[in-house]
Amino acid sequence: MADHKQLTLWEEMQNKGYSRRDFLKFCAWMGAFIGVESTGVASVVRAMETKKRPAVIWLHLQECTCCSESFIRSSHPIVADIILDNISLDYTETLQAAAGHQAEAAMKKSMKDNWGEYILLVEGSVPTGDDGVYCCIGGQTAEARLKEAAEGAKAVIAWGNCASNGCVQAANPNPTTATPIHKIISGKPLIKVPGCPPIGEVMAGIIVHILAFGTIPQLDGQGRPMAFYGRRVHDTCYRRPNYDAGLFVEEFDDENAKKGYCLYKVGCRGPVTYNACAVTKWNGGTSFPIQAGHGCLGCSEANFWDHGPFYQHLASFPGFGIETTADTIGLGLGVGAAVGIAAHAVITNIRKKDEINEHIETSAVPDRDQEGD
Amino acid sequence: MRKKEIALFRVYVWERPVRIYHWLNALCIVVLCITGYLIGNPIVLQHGGNDASMLYFFGWIRFIHFAAAYVFLINFIVRIYWGFVGNQYSDWKNYFPYSKKHFQNMWDVLMVDILMIKKKDIETAGHNAVANFTYFLTFLAFLLSVVTGFGMYSAMSDNWFSSLFHWVIPFFGGDLILRMIHHVTMWFFVVFTIFHVYLVFYHDYVDGSGVLSSMAGGWKFVTKDKFLRKNQKKPEPAKK
Amino acid sequence: MANRIVIDPVTRIEGHLRVELEVKDGKVVDAFSSGTMVRGIELIVKDRDPRDVWAFVERVCGVCTTVHALASVRSVEDALNWQIPQNAELIRNLMFVTQMMQDHVVHFYHLHALDWVDVVSALSADPVATSNLAQSISSWPKSSPGYFRDLQKRLKGFVDSGQLGIFANGYWGHKAYKLPAEANLMGVAHYLEALEWQKEIVKIHAIFGGKNPHPNYLVGGVACSLNINEVNAINAERLAQVKHLLDDAKVFIEQVYIPDLMAIASFYKDWGAIGGGLENYLAYGDLPTNGYSDVSSFKFPRGIIMGRNLNEVIPVDGKDGEQIKEFISRSYYDYSGGNETGLHPWEGETKLAYSGPKPPYDYLDVDKKYSWLKTPRWKGNPMEVGPLSRMLVGFASGKTEYKEVVTEALTKLDVPVTALFSTLGRTAARGLETRLVANWALEFYDMLITNIKNGDSRTVNQEFRNPDTWPAEAKGVGMTEAPRGALAHWIVIKDKKTANYQLVVPSTWNASPRDANGQRSAYEASLIGTPIADPENPLEVLRTIHSFDPCLACAVH
Ligand code: HEM
Ligand code: HEM
Ligand code: NFV
Ligand code: SF4
Ligand code: SF4
Ligand code: F3S
Ligand SMILES: [Mg+2]
Repeated sequence: MADHKQLTLWEEMQNKGYSRRDFLKFCAWMGAFIGVESTGVASVVRAMETKKRPAVIWLHLQECTCCSESFIRSSHPIVADIILDNISLDYTETLQAAAGHQAEAAMKKSMKDNWGEYILLVEGSVPTGDDGVYCCIGGQTAEARLKEAAEGAKAVIAWGNCASNGCVQAANPNPTTATPIHKIISGKPLIKVPGCPPIGEVMAGIIVHILAFGTIPQLDGQGRPMAFYGRRVHDTCYRRPNYDAGLFVEEFDDENAKKGYCLYKVGCRGPVTYNACAVTKWNGGTSFPIQAGHGCLGCSEANFWDHGPFYQHLASFPGFGIETTADTIGLGLGVGAAVGIAAHAVITNIRKKDEINEHIETSAVPDRDQEGD
Repeated sequence: MRKKEIALFRVYVWERPVRIYHWLNALCIVVLCITGYLIGNPIVLQHGGNDASMLYFFGWIRFIHFAAAYVFLINFIVRIYWGFVGNQYSDWKNYFPYSKKHFQNMWDVLMVDILMIKKKDIETAGHNAVANFTYFLTFLAFLLSVVTGFGMYSAMSDNWFSSLFHWVIPFFGGDLILRMIHHVTMWFFVVFTIFHVYLVFYHDYVDGSGVLSSMAGGWKFVTKDKFLRKNQKKPEPAKK
Repeated sequence: MANRIVIDPVTRIEGHLRVELEVKDGKVVDAFSSGTMVRGIELIVKDRDPRDVWAFVERVCGVCTTVHALASVRSVEDALNWQIPQNAELIRNLMFVTQMMQDHVVHFYHLHALDWVDVVSALSADPVATSNLAQSISSWPKSSPGYFRDLQKRLKGFVDSGQLGIFANGYWGHKAYKLPAEANLMGVAHYLEALEWQKEIVKIHAIFGGKNPHPNYLVGGVACSLNINEVNAINAERLAQVKHLLDDAKVFIEQVYIPDLMAIASFYKDWGAIGGGLENYLAYGDLPTNGYSDVSSFKFPRGIIMGRNLNEVIPVDGKDGEQIKEFISRSYYDYSGGNETGLHPWEGETKLAYSGPKPPYDYLDVDKKYSWLKTPRWKGNPMEVGPLSRMLVGFASGKTEYKEVVTEALTKLDVPVTALFSTLGRTAARGLETRLVANWALEFYDMLITNIKNGDSRTVNQEFRNPDTWPAEAKGVGMTEAPRGALAHWIVIKDKKTANYQLVVPSTWNASPRDANGQRSAYEASLIGTPIADPENPLEVLRTIHSFDPCLACAVH
């Protein structure tokens, strides 16, 4: 057990020599960041004064660590401030000093001390195939570790597309049966933060929200925070006027590309992708994929890897060639239908001549006892 | 072969709402297919003056698509309603292949009409069994394009009606899949229309029953004795 | 009997690495390095559109993000003999150097430094003395006594809270820490500054590739367009931002990273004789200044050094079926032609076949197969790859810039050339190449500006974008230098689809299990002989392992 009493954020800041004024400014700023009105700042202040520095455990499962990397790219708040002042990041394989059993002990201790209170952040998917042998840490399977850590968690955040949707390793044929975490754990509030990776500021923003309000942000039907996943990239894309006008890039670096026209025809998935890229942008607001001339890949959508090829408007059909879209198949069917019909018409004329003649020659004048309307 | 006399009834099959429905529907489908195709494969405008603020070409195409979509939907609802209140030919039950008999009839039509293998007299005043089944599929396709269409639309419009369709997106597994399915329905309608228009002309030519014009005036011609045998009653007199 | 130590998870790395060690008389006598996570990306890209594959394989790793994308687009371009415009080459170079600078700095401060810097000892530092120390080694402005005092106060508050977070349970107070408290405090300051800086430099990726991690690439060039008269394209403002970031990077590297590296190294000179390991070094080279097909124009030269003989650089050919092969005799895979054979990557196979202990387990069966990494060999030889290999190949190729920085460092530290072949050498080489790269970055930038000035704004060669122009079958290899070393992807394209795709990754070379002949790969070899003061706290092992900057997601993929 820790001999030290857990300090509130306000006490924490006092210890660091911050003034009350600094503290209030910080709260106002946090409030602004998560979009509360100025009248709501008081509640942020109260929240900060009374809340403990929450323990956070970050699990690394079947991943590429780009979510961790993205997190440390956050520019507001910067990560040094989050991990030194706002949370107690008690386990993360990427950054923690301790290794091996020292690291394991740190995690166990934090779980024990904060049972039912810690926030669990999960990066990576869980390979459930073949009893989990495709991802082991400390001799344990990813699945076992996740279940154990989730049990004492207050809330769980699924970072990135791996934890939310399985991501690249779950793409066809999913050799390791990579599984998103909501299929493994249940009974805990779960926030999905999809994206490959998610935007750093979005990740930090979600943590700030939880810290400031002590609640999880409002989620959509799929468990994603509305604040960042409520709109399609296309709805907030600055190239949208070109789309509406009918001004499109046809090939990379053609005249239209050089004018920054819409990337729809070279496969932009912005119209089918929910993410904050076009508003929050990436890397401290520097740019986002479309601004740099490449269409959106749809990296925050489930199964986007299997919705390729990426450089055409629609995915190709499974079982048909790479280039085949619905249009190619449709056109084929249409032409097939026309040809079939032509043949049918010819045959009809030959085979049914008799019948037709029969009808024509024997038609009678119909009863005239009825009138049309 | 001795030629026998055949007496024909003039039967009032397609009431006015059905006829209006049909032509409005046909118009909507054509508009939706054209605008839909253009949404999927937009024409690239290479205007010298490349100022997007001066143009709203693609926006208009989409607008027409959405406007036609609403007309299409309301029209479709009217037709479904008519399936409950209209005459026997427009009864919704005709379209559901629920009985064994319906499947038998379908088989017959296929053999006789399409493949020209068997010889058997089949005649119906409304649609024949295969036609009914195809229309049934068409109605399903209507439903699919409406659901997927409004599902996609729910992401673009905050209006209450399209908001009813928010559930569609996760249900189908995301907007891209929705779009694919929606896009495919277009090709279903294209292929359907090709067959449909051909068959209507074909039957008009072969049966001489006036199928083609029936969608305009409502009347069809049927063989009197067969009609009576089947219906055990006189054809409905036209309302005056 | 020797004592078995297990370190799992090895932290402050990327991915899931497990090390098992035999320790006897305070020294490591045998070591086993095991990758414990696999995804099967090589299987997943099969049958995909070769133009899409870069995006899949880029997700092999989010730490060295971009390098796999680069290797991938090059493999396709190589297969189709597709030349890209010079601007595209330069933009790719700028993205390359950005990645390398960011990755090396993050490695040094956030993944490696805590092996040498005792955070807790920084609490007892004198801020004034720290300031003096900082100012004596660099002109970096953030060095006043007040600055260090504030930082110390913040650190104290943090430690006093009892919640040590990422620093909990570290090796603080371990005998092997040698730095004075002041150097430790300075190290902590720069740990935090580097954390802020690294998020700036990657903005270059956002400018050219839309985001970082995982910026976008394009087969046939780069997706961003150059148009100095357009707000939607790479214009003067965007270019100015790139220049600004590159200038800042150079300052940070020269005034913070290199002085810290030298200062810390001077207290750990004994590590210039520990952790040498293999004697063979491999570099594929990269950073073309005259097109990727002109190897002689590379800033990082290509070649091999055998037996630490710096008088000869042996050529390497990725397309020669006899040179590079992967073996699986100790890896959890099956080959259709038998598990003892080696396969050139064009013929490579990836059939997952776990045969290790059933989890949960305490020890691996190190006598049998024990890792998800395959074992690559060059003509049957184990090779070390990475910054040290690059510096040695550059040095041995007789390039003056390499000679200058290496000699300067050796002189400053007053250590012999042989100190290069060590844990310290590896860590120093990383810093030295970062210095070179920071300079080259500005050269590439100037070349790009010159091109634009001369009216060349092309960034894509359309020639083969349409797969109808492709032959029925084509094979290519895309080679590059990832931060951790020589990286190559091999592709076989059949009927417009990816028929086979194999990655042989730097950490695969270094972290792989031994081969059928019992030859150890770099990690295992370099751990032999490492002194262990306290088997419960094997800090020394972490130093050597971290000197390679392990990336296991890369290594296994
Ligand atoms: C039967 C009729 C319809 C046909 C043939 C049709 C066809 C199409 C096609 C081919 C597309 C292009 C899809 C793509 O490639 O991205 C499209 C898009 C769309 N359709 Fe339809 N559609 C029909 C009915 C509807 C209905 C009833 C709605 C309801 C609102 C609707 C809403 C949409 C929407 C929202 C889009 C996407 C437009 C955009 O992203 O700008 N459609 N339609
Ligand atoms: C030039 C074009 C068209 C002509 C001449 C035409 C003609 C006809 C005729 C004569 C019928 C009655 C058939 C019968 O009694 O079995 C009919 C029914 C029908 N047609 Fe068309 N049609 C056309 C276009 C379309 C289009 C584009 C669609 C929609 C995709 C369509 C959908 C239907 C449906 C659903 C019925 C069944 C109506 C009902 O039972 O309510 N038609 N059409
Ligand atoms: N090993 C490795 Fe990488 C690197 N550098 C890639 O090729 O780290 Ni993720
Ligand atoms: S979601 Fe994407 S970025 Fe994050 S770990 Fe998975 S592959 Fe990497
Ligand atoms: S570039 Fe993409 S997101 Fe932007 S308007 Fe065009 S299609 Fe939509
Ligand atoms: S690819 Fe991903 S980063 Fe944003 S623009 Fe698209 S969601
Ligand atoms: Mg491989």
